Amino acid sequence: MRTLSRIQSWMRAVMGRSRMEREMDAELHFHIEAFAEDLARNGVPRPEALRRARIEFGAVERAKEECREARGISLFDGLTQDFQYAVRTLRKNPGFTATAVLTLALGIALNATMFSMVSAFLLRRPPGQEPSRAVVISGINPTQGFQSDLSGVSAPNYLAWRQANHVFVEIAAADEYRTVSLTAQGTDRSGQRTSIGRPEALRASAVSSNYFRVFGVSPQIGRTFADGEGLAGHDHVVILSHELWERRFGSEASVIGGTIRLNRENYTVIGVMPANFRLMGFVPQLWMPLVLRAADQTEAARKERSLNLYARLKPGVTLEQARAEMVTLAQRAEESFPETEKGWGVGVRTLPEYLVQNFSVRGGLAVMMTAVGFVLLIACANVAALLLARAAGRRKELAIRISLGAGRLRVVRQLLTEGLVVAFLGGGGGLLASYWGINLVRANMNFNEYVSAVPISLDWNVVFFALAISVASAALCGLVPALSASRTDVNTNLKEESRALSAGRSHSRLRTVMVTGEIALALFLLVGTGLLIRRLSVLHNQNLGFVPDHLLTAGVTLDSAQYKDASQQAAFVRNAMIQLRQIPDAEAVAATSDLPATGPGKVTFLIKGQPELPANQRLSALDFVITPEFFRAAGIPLLRGREFTERDNGTGTRAVLVNQEFVHRYLQGQEPIGKQIRLDVSGATPEWSEIVGVVGNTKSFSGSTREEGQVFEAMLQRPISSFALMIRAASDPEGLVGAMRNAVRQVDAELPLVQVMSMHAVIKRQDGGDAIFEALLASFALLALILAAIGIYGLVAYSVGQRTHEIGIRMALGAEKPHVLRMVLRDGLKMTAIGAAMGLVMALPLPRVFEAVLYFGGENIQEPALYFIVPIAMTVVTMLATYIPARRAMKVDPVVALRYE
Amino acid sequence: MDKKQIELLQGTLDMLILKAVSLGPLHGYGVLLRIQQISKDRLEIQQGSLYPALYRLEHQGWIASEWGESENKRKAKYYRLTAAGKRKFQTEAEKWNRMADVIAGILQSTPEEV
Repeated sequence: MRTLSRIQSWMRAVMGRSRMEREMDAELHFHIEAFAEDLARNGVPRPEALRRARIEFGAVERAKEECREARGISLFDGLTQDFQYAVRTLRKNPGFTATAVLTLALGIALNATMFSMVSAFLLRRPPGQEPSRAVVISGINPTQGFQSDLSGVSAPNYLAWRQANHVFVEIAAADEYRTVSLTAQGTDRSGQRTSIGRPEALRASAVSSNYFRVFGVSPQIGRTFADGEGLAGHDHVVILSHELWERRFGSEASVIGGTIRLNRENYTVIGVMPANFRLMGFVPQLWMPLVLRAADQTEAARKERSLNLYARLKPGVTLEQARAEMVTLAQRAEESFPETEKGWGVGVRTLPEYLVQNFSVRGGLAVMMTAVGFVLLIACANVAALLLARAAGRRKELAIRISLGAGRLRVVRQLLTEGLVVAFLGGGGGLLASYWGINLVRANMNFNEYVSAVPISLDWNVVFFALAISVASAALCGLVPALSASRTDVNTNLKEESRALSAGRSHSRLRTVMVTGEIALALFLLVGTGLLIRRLSVLHNQNLGFVPDHLLTAGVTLDSAQYKDASQQAAFVRNAMIQLRQIPDAEAVAATSDLPATGPGKVTFLIKGQPELPANQRLSALDFVITPEFFRAAGIPLLRGREFTERDNGTGTRAVLVNQEFVHRYLQGQEPIGKQIRLDVSGATPEWSEIVGVVGNTKSFSGSTREEGQVFEAMLQRPISSFALMIRAASDPEGLVGAMRNAVRQVDAELPLVQVMSMHAVIKRQDGGDAIFEALLASFALLALILAAIGIYGLVAYSVGQRTHEIGIRMALGAEKPHVLRMVLRDGLKMTAIGAAMGLVMALPLPRVFEAVLYFGGENIQEPALYFIVPIAMTVVTMLATYIPARRAMKVDPVVALRYE
Repeated sequence: MDKKQIELLQGTLDMLILKAVSLGPLHGYGVLLRIQQISKDRLEIQQGSLYPALYRLEHQGWIASEWGESENKRKAKYYRLTAAGKRKFQTEAEKWNRMADVIAGILQSTPEEV
């Protein structure tokens, strides 16, 4: 009953608000009237009686306020009132409001835009059922390196672990990076021949038959693999990705049951996966069965760590238990096969965690979010300073309100509400602007297919984030002025004339602290950005060791149906070179296992005369397999000895070339020519090769300054099935695309080329993110600088305005103009010096932080000059921002200033 | 003002209001007069704080209000004790009396008794 009455009273209060107010008025009025009447009856004159009654009663408004509070509606009620009041004051000051809202909108828009990337890359749920119960099992390479803890697993280990573990429902394996050619004709279900245009190389993923089951996904149409389809002879079935189905097969359901020609063999299409089945970082266009043969179970196969393992935890099994079990199994393998498994560990991650780590964007995003977070902080400080300045101007108003009985809490709440309204206007504006910003980012995030496959959009995460940072900004902007205002001393403020020599000290002190902080943050951002941009520009302008201009490249994968053995592969290469050389503008042509500066694989080796070490302790170098003209095509100088010739073929003695770094690192400057080395090439019997030449160094990867030892083998001596073609063109390389395709068609009409593009385009595909990263960071840092300059300008301009009177007195007493100018500039300089010093201290550990977060692989990104240039530039900008208002101070006319009110 | 007035102890105003309206419905001013009358003007009551207390008591359901006509034919809001208020008043009064006894006992104790 009590609860009921309470609710009733509350309901009455909220619903019948105006009625309640009326009644309260009437009731209090009645009280005073009745009291006055009693006094009058005792002989007090009527007007005097009323006055006495009012005094006796005390502050009516406060009583009302307490009554409202007693009803429990005050909060709700007060908020509406605060809100209305805030809107009214903000509308009365359109200039202030616009500045504050725009500043915050800018900061919030940047944050929301960047957060759309966080949302797209880090927060998306992977497809399938309970993705957090799906795990990925990876190998841990004992040799430290980029993502060395995300290595693949060998087939023998997969088979052993699948049998032995007790923690997973099942383990699926996938060989994700296969290339297959989809050739011109196939048939549909009714046996009708279908033509689907020119041959195309597709990215395929070979998966065990339980693969889709582990994720818990069903196909959009058709079915997934059946258990027997992983066996040789039953494996000619294929599942299409939604994208391929749409693009090449016109979304026809009749494709199911028909056949398509992959690598010149017929495959039956059994299913199409839905568009949303997409694992970040993997872009297979079709899935085919993974066939594990007897050869995949030998000890030699242990070196081929090409499988990604996906598994589903058994109900009740935790990730830690699964980890412990896998570590035990890996130890068992290490004990049984020390030659290949020594040092190799195993890691188990949940699927979402794995995908994010594998994509390795976390560090970059963290840096970006920190940068925009700081920009927002600076924006908030500016807005807080604006509010503070205004609060200082409103001290009298606040003092009057407090003396009329408004509680201090009410006043604080009132000011907070103002901050909130500004922040929400800014948040709304920011969200609108971020719509445009996100489109811009999306338009630029397409430099390779992995990035393009991640849809960046203004999703709910972004909206909630924008909301959250708006509230946080409101708190940041509103709290400081609110608290400082709440300390308002009623008496001093009511008495204080604006003739006071300088404005409320605590206000300007707070603002000075905030502006100093802004300068520190801006400087920190500038140094950080400077370091990163300096590094990127070093990379961008570095001599890669070869000449990427005028170089056309394309990828080729020879299928095993047509090219069954090494001699057939060698024959293709020989013929292709002959055809490519026919192209009029081709100055040199070559084939290579890897294009220069694209991060080739490593090979371990032994130098004749040195002791034989166990497999995991051998020397290693980057391994290229090339045709004779490679160095001329790439523009890599031959320093000693000779290049490969046509005679370095299957019948000749094996020859290799090495680079300078190899000689430096492994031969300690001894005469390299004639030295014998033995490469541990998988699948081949080890043979001694003679070093016949030394070439100049090339960078291992375009996005790094690293140079490593390199070994070049002759492709005619060790044919391979997947390689790149290169043409050094006399003219624009893009102009030779058609001629290149034609030449390859002359050799094999059914063989598709992939990624036919200039070497510059290849590098852009690799490092495309860097340019965007650089541009974004640079604009953030610049913005921070501008905002900080505005902050210091605003503070100095305000304090000059407040001190007009004081300056007038000084000048009247004989202070010279330059003296006044110096006085004002000194204030600005002091803030800059303190802020810059703080910023510098903060920025000192940055190189090490970047190293840890962004994996630069031990590169040195120290740039001591930045620690001088940035503070100087900062000082110039802040001095400029101070000078403008300072000049105004100088122009103060003492006569006017002394009258200034 | 009478110098011998004493200030109200914290939290006792509610009890006094409940007592005042237990003798019959009263408007706010009437509550004030009744308390002053019973206390023989020995208590100082902040008039402004009377109404928040009335509103609080009503909100808690101890008293109820309705509009009526005052002695001089004016509209006034009358408060009366509810059943729950009656029980509340009794427990509060008992508690107060016990407390007063204990405190008085302590204050009157002589050194020999301790």
